[in-house]
Amino acid sequence: MALDIEDIRADFPILARTLPNGKRLVYFDNAATSQKPQCVIDAMSEYYEHYNSNAHRANHTLADEATTALEGARERISSYFGTSPDQMIYTSGATEAINLAAYGWARENLSEGDVVVLTEMEHHADIVPWQQMSVDNGIEVRYVPIDTASFTLDMDAFEVAIEGASLVCVVHTSNVLGVRNPIENIIEMSHAAGARVLIDCAQGAPHERIDFDSLGADFVAISAHKMAGPTGIGCLLVRRDAMAEMGPFMTGGSMIKRVSTEGSTFQEGHAMFETGTPRIAEAIGWGAAVEWLDQFDMREVHEHINDIASWTASRMREIPGIRIYGDPDREDSSGAVSFLHEDIQSQDLALLLDEGGFAVRTGHHCAQPLMDALGVPSTNRASFWIYNTMGEAESFVQYLEEVVDRFA
Amino acid sequence: MTASHVQGGPLGRGNMDGSRRWPEHLDAVIEEFQACFDAMERYELLFSYSKRHPSPLPQEEWDDDNQVHGCQSRAHVICTVDESGGFLLRGGADAQIVQGLMAVTAIAVNGMDPADVAGMEPDYAEEMGIRSSLTPSRANGFLNMFKRVTEEAALLL
Repeated sequence: MALDIEDIRADFPILARTLPNGKRLVYFDNAATSQKPQCVIDAMSEYYEHYNSNAHRANHTLADEATTALEGARERISSYFGTSPDQMIYTSGATEAINLAAYGWARENLSEGDVVVLTEMEHHADIVPWQQMSVDNGIEVRYVPIDTASFTLDMDAFEVAIEGASLVCVVHTSNVLGVRNPIENIIEMSHAAGARVLIDCAQGAPHERIDFDSLGADFVAISAHKMAGPTGIGCLLVRRDAMAEMGPFMTGGSMIKRVSTEGSTFQEGHAMFETGTPRIAEAIGWGAAVEWLDQFDMREVHEHINDIASWTASRMREIPGIRIYGDPDREDSSGAVSFLHEDIQSQDLALLLDEGGFAVRTGHHCAQPLMDALGVPSTNRASFWIYNTMGEAESFVQYLEEVVDRFA
Repeated sequence: MTASHVQGGPLGRGNMDGSRRWPEHLDAVIEEFQACFDAMERYELLFSYSKRHPSPLPQEEWDDDNQVHGCQSRAHVICTVDESGGFLLRGGADAQIVQGLMAVTAIAVNGMDPADVAGMEPDYAEEMGIRSSLTPSRANGFLNMFKRVTEEAALLL
């Protein structure tokens, strides 16, 4: 059944708003964060209005309801990602999830000289923790370059880089280029080389169904807020055998079995890594978000987004001075279209687009090594999602043409 | 900081009375922006001012020391005093909107007593109608530049 975009848009109250200058909002900053459907907002409000309480803490009705909702959300979310609740650790988002893999797994298992392989395409969230681990533990960090003509990973270099590696960390889909990496091959090759694999799915999860158990990765990092969920919540999916190799990361309340002045013993499984009061409302909101997403066939969603992105990029290429970074024409590309104008600096262009009501992202996108590889300090990025329309894309291209005519 | 704390100094330039928090000689520039039809026309005017910086800093002089950090765009400033003891802001940015605001700032502060520059507030940008110039983003090029200018002015005292 074809997607009814107007019906989908009706679930997002924010999409009807106008900006202070009277322009109707056209939200093309979805790779930064998606908007939230009413059911997510309602689920979080209902928690605060009717059963706000601390989970896993008390024996009263509200605490029972909060605990049931928190764990119910874990069931729903882990099921959406094709795995079981015991392989899912709540985090604040993909950044904390990768830090958890670094400090919970790598710190326990890697030492001086062990190799972690990254790519030039990674978000800073999947670079800086490993650089810090290199400083602290003496691990070696190798970077797989990208082919700047095709905007894809250099897989020949990848094959060389993973020799002798203990861990391979690769982004599922680039937040800058929209390029989806061949993660199935990457996982297979890395495992064959004896390495564990972490996939950063912050951008991938909003665009395709991640099936953790069949994917075979050891770690998968996900943020809720890019897939209709609230900010401040995400997860690290971890295979049981990898979780058994992990030690505590953040310590304190909730993650302990017993604390005495002599020392502490810790919970097992995901409970060891969920310290302090959980993000209860956020987890409930994310649970509502995956339930909302579950009504759609994500292949149709991806096709819809890819159609808009590829059409927009093709029209933008016709505007004098515009250069596209990435290849939105590829069927597996996400909705991110990065671009620059040769005369109008990226921040200027973003402010001019904002005056037309168009919300796009500007900057290095927390991917400075990729910017270095591309030879640019920043890009503009329009990124589309399920509720965007071809009509919005048409008005965007038309407005961009006017801006370029007037300011270039 | 109130207006009464930033009265013009003995140099005779940059006097600010109780009703404004920018030097009087900036009024004409502000009025020019206020006369614009809409935000896009204001941006066009800023682009025009970016090419009329009274004391530009050529790219060859841009370095790590004079870079204004935290901007999405590249911005560089060097603050000194001229031969008569007046403040001199030399600056450059790759974003023309930041460069235009920097040019207006230079028009405002050049020749002023550094003590008055140190006490200035960026209200004139809001008065010009440049809404985006005052958002409290960490990456706001204008505000980072303005803060750097006032800090350097304080160091010149």
